[in-house]
Amino acid sequence: MTNGTETSPAPRREGGFEREPARRVFAGELRESRIHFKEGQDEKSPSFVLLPTGARCNRVFFVGTLTEKKKQGEQNLFYRARVVDPTGTFFVMAGSYQPDAMQQIARIEPPSFVAVVGKPNVYQTPDGAVLISVRCESITPVDKETRDQWVLDCAAATLDRLEKGASTPDGERARKEYGMDPAIFRKMAYEALAQLRL
Amino acid sequence: MDFSETAERISQKVMSHGHAVEKTAIETKLRRLVEEFGVPLAEAERTVTNEMAREFSISGLQAGGPGEAKTLDALVPGEWVTVECKVVALTAPPSPSISQTGIAADQTAAVRFVVWSRANAPVLKEGNWYRFESAVVDQYRGSVNLKVHSGTTIREVSGGGAIKPVITPIAALRPGIASVRGKVIQEWEATHDRILQSGLIADETGSVRFVTWKEEGRERLNPGTVYTVFYATVDEFNGRLSLTLNTATVVPEEGDIEVSRGDASFEGAFVHLAPGSGLIKRCPVGGCNRVLSRQNYCPVHEIQPNFQYDLRIKGWLDNGEETREVLISRAETESLVGMTLEQARELAENTPLGMDEVFLRFRDALLGRYLSCRGREIDGRLLVSGCTRLRFQPERLADLLNRAGGSA
Repeated sequence: MTNGTETSPAPRREGGFEREPARRVFAGELRESRIHFKEGQDEKSPSFVLLPTGARCNRVFFVGTLTEKKKQGEQNLFYRARVVDPTGTFFVMAGSYQPDAMQQIARIEPPSFVAVVGKPNVYQTPDGAVLISVRCESITPVDKETRDQWVLDCAAATLDRLEKGASTPDGERARKEYGMDPAIFRKMAYEALAQLRL
Repeated sequence: MDFSETAERISQKVMSHGHAVEKTAIETKLRRLVEEFGVPLAEAERTVTNEMAREFSISGLQAGGPGEAKTLDALVPGEWVTVECKVVALTAPPSPSISQTGIAADQTAAVRFVVWSRANAPVLKEGNWYRFESAVVDQYRGSVNLKVHSGTTIREVSGGGAIKPVITPIAALRPGIASVRGKVIQEWEATHDRILQSGLIADETGSVRFVTWKEEGRERLNPGTVYTVFYATVDEFNGRLSLTLNTATVVPEEGDIEVSRGDASFEGAFVHLAPGSGLIKRCPVGGCNRVLSRQNYCPVHEIQPNFQYDLRIKGWLDNGEETREVLISRAETESLVGMTLEQARELAENTPLGMDEVFLRFRDALLGRYLSCRGREIDGRLLVSGCTRLRFQPERLADLLNRAGGSA
């Protein structure tokens, strides 16, 4: 954090830099993702997780309940945390490369509503299971209203992706690679929304 | 078909260069091209004219009659044209291979013109009308340009009287030459030795950056004053427009105009609070206003212990598909974060983390929140003049339930 100093601005759009949007995705959908790919040979070119509803995502934004946090490691201290939304659990990590996020987690006492911005990664465990975890850029306590707004936002984004279906290249690829029934995700969105009415 | 008139025209031209030519021979050539080969008459005339020119080694022989003069708004790159227009501005030629540059206008439009040194053209005077025959229209940095070369003939003409330039709304500007009426709403510190002044000029429809390069007789504009700017050069660079006022005649106006506050807007979640947000120190030197480093160092005016405090938010909004950088100034920041400048200053002075504490409070108050921002967009960045926190909308829940349940 270099508050008060003018750091050199990130290269502008014309320089080819464009901030990757943070996708809205339910935990239940992110958990099903398997494909992690990169376009471009450059070391710095962004990598993406392909969502089963058919969108590439380099960054995600979600709001849920922080239920558990655990400090790990000795020299390379890092936090693991679980953030729960109406459809499942996000596995969140913040290590020494994300000092701001790590300090934020350290100060939050679960349970608490949190807003998370981070980058998803796909891992394969030695026994062959696939894990998706989110390396977090920021994790901030928020109120319930923000959580409810996110559920609406995420449900709308999920339905938008389902309606686009295979009409986009990523949508077509997702259909081919995952072959999942779109009805599953429609139902997921419905149930997440229905919980807000309680 | 009657070819005698065309043949007459060609033979006149050839004879004017001192060569005898048989009019009937020309007519036969024309007839053959048109009737046997289906060539359009105008094209046939050009073919035959060129043939004559080659035969008698005449250079600069042009097909067509004296030529209908075109209006400047009808110019298309690649054409050879005859135009009658007034020289409304002369600018310093950028290179020795160019003898004169400036702006020529008629009742319909204005264009930049270039006279090559090799053209041996007469020296043009500002305010006079000229007839340019066989000038070339081309394109330079996205705008139409008139080139005067050695084959162009220039004649001073009595002219078409006074020209009333068309005022273009700023939102409708395109590369080329344009006249605008607007108010100087911002003045920026010169970023280069050669810049006399740069800033932002706005009218009811939008705003555009302007620059005046240092040159004799050029004066700075007063911020807050309305000007009519005749014949400024509109350049495009990296997809954004800029007005160069060196070619222009700038006339201050009485009164005031309502300038556009910018109609760009963006809604989304606040996903990143950038460094340089929160409580900042600004350089107190008049017109500078740069943000100082922790050590009160201004990149231009060096150490400035008598800085001024300010509050602002720099960050990114994100709607899941697109992102937008936002810059929120003090008034909006205070109401959004619920902290006044005075409170922020006290907080910074009375906590061990100082200004960082303000940054951290800002982060906790903003990240993850859904905001709606309105303002002016410059270089892909939204300069926010109005910002509200979005609220949960129960009716949206009902709509989405219908949408999700509808075809399940």
